[in-house]
Amino acid sequence: MIYAKQLNRQFGGQHLQQGYAVCDLSFHVKRGEVMGLLGPNGAGKSTTMKMLTGFLPPSSGTASINGIGLEKPQAIQHCLGYLPENAPSYRDLDVINHLRFMGRMHGLPPATLSDRITEMSDVCGLQSVLHRRIDELSKGFRQRVGLAASMLHDPVCLILDEPTTGLDPNQIVEIRHLIRRLGEEKTVLLSSHVLSEVEAVCDRMMILDGGRLQIIGTQDELAQQAQGGIVLQLQLRGDVTAFEQAIKLALPACTFERTSKHEKTSKHKKTLEDSETFYISLRHTDGQAPLAETAFRTAVAHNILLLEMHTEQTSLEDVFHALTGADHEKK
Amino acid sequence: MKKNNPVIVSSLSLMAKQIIALCRKEWRTCIDTPLAYVIGIAFLVTTGFFFSNSLFLVNEADMRGWFAVLPLLLIFFVPAMAMRFIADERRSGTFELLATLPVGTLTVVLGKFLSLFTQLAVLIGLTLLYPWTLSGLGTLDGGQMMVSYIALLLLAGSYAAICLYASALTGYEVIAYVFGLVLLLTLFLLLQVATLFPPFIQNVLTTLSPVAHYQSLLRGVLNLGDVVYLLMVIGVFISLCSFELERRRWR
Repeated sequence: MIYAKQLNRQFGGQHLQQGYAVCDLSFHVKRGEVMGLLGPNGAGKSTTMKMLTGFLPPSSGTASINGIGLEKPQAIQHCLGYLPENAPSYRDLDVINHLRFMGRMHGLPPATLSDRITEMSDVCGLQSVLHRRIDELSKGFRQRVGLAASMLHDPVCLILDEPTTGLDPNQIVEIRHLIRRLGEEKTVLLSSHVLSEVEAVCDRMMILDGGRLQIIGTQDELAQQAQGGIVLQLQLRGDVTAFEQAIKLALPACTFERTSKHEKTSKHKKTLEDSETFYISLRHTDGQAPLAETAFRTAVAHNILLLEMHTEQTSLEDVFHALTGADHEKK
Repeated sequence: MKKNNPVIVSSLSLMAKQIIALCRKEWRTCIDTPLAYVIGIAFLVTTGFFFSNSLFLVNEADMRGWFAVLPLLLIFFVPAMAMRFIADERRSGTFELLATLPVGTLTVVLGKFLSLFTQLAVLIGLTLLYPWTLSGLGTLDGGQMMVSYIALLLLAGSYAAICLYASALTGYEVIAYVFGLVLLLTLFLLLQVATLFPPFIQNVLTTLSPVAHYQSLLRGVLNLGDVVYLLMVIGVFISLCSFELERRRWR
């Protein structure tokens, strides 16, 4: 649905320091998928979106939406709904006239236009402000006006640049539901710096940093890639050395590590039993490896008491920090 | 060729729809905001002053003096009407909205120009009150009056195109106003200082100045050359404006 191939966007003229706002970016979003675009400030999220909408021409590289190449921006814009950052709208107009203008520019006939405006203002909760001037409205309402305007012509593909900024928590939930609902039939590419939002709404996500694609995939894939595979945390009591040897025999690629992660909790009640309790973390680069199964069978075979076992959940925050934080620390 | 016709027709009809949509939006903004009213009132007060001036002081039922002074007056009023047209879109970020709608840059500029021109035409139309008053006092040369008003509309049109271009150069309304004013004043003053130059340069300056062609039309003859020249000025500055907006995207 959305294809981008080696997109580049340079900034700076000949005399200024040159750099890339977006560098060598390739990705693809499937039809009916909600894709999240993450990254710290200045990572190139907005630039990427502006290039896909035909507003900024890429310095090099190609992209296509719905099978239409970037060289035909008007054809793309017919099947595309775009909400720019900060949802700009004509502040001197009232909401309904702004929506009418946007619809007319898409060539909607009058009857369809008024139907769509009613529908979209229902969906975005705008009925009460339809006849208010936009510059009197709060940020949240303006955001919703922008969202309604981007969907007026019923596009197959939506590009939303930070759709939920400035909304109150209730509105955020509503807009998320809306995006989820839209995502069932439409292709959505949205950017955000709220990680929980992307987690809640998106099927897949990608993280940009310094204009480069760091990682792309579902949340689980991202976590696995970031921690270099699957990680299993174990708490067991018994002969830990024998256990280690047996595990290494069964899964040679697995790394075995005694962790001190639980030290804090055990400090409080350090009993004799505790000294025999070991905390182990097993790591395997292949996410599909039967780590848990092997660990359980080995423990049973060696008569080791398995007190606790869980796969470590790496949060999106950790992934995000691991991928984008490093660069800033260097500076 | 026949195969392509429906496509061309539909894209032309979409373009026409978009131009109408742009005009309706600009007119709505014009009606809903005080700027146009303020400018309109100031325009009527000033033109009214110059009209009554010649009527009562010179004691002539004649508008030649009035038409002669209008190029200078419009130099101050047209940039004021035109300054927000593109500069405001750039400043408030709605230009991005406009640029990502399925509409060509030229269509946008045409729509903007048409709405600005019609707004100026309404303003100029209001001054028809003056010849109407005069017609009660004596006989007017209706033909000459009509040609003079056509000349005035063409002049306003060329001013509008120039100021629209000035508005596309910047994101600040005030700077757009100053740019427009300077461009128009330069064209106007070049004609005034033309007599200082040798005849060859004098000829070039007179040919280039829209005001000279307007003055030539005021004689009462609808000279095709003058009309075409003023229309050409409109065309050139509309294209310049469109190029400028396209160019800015590549920055």
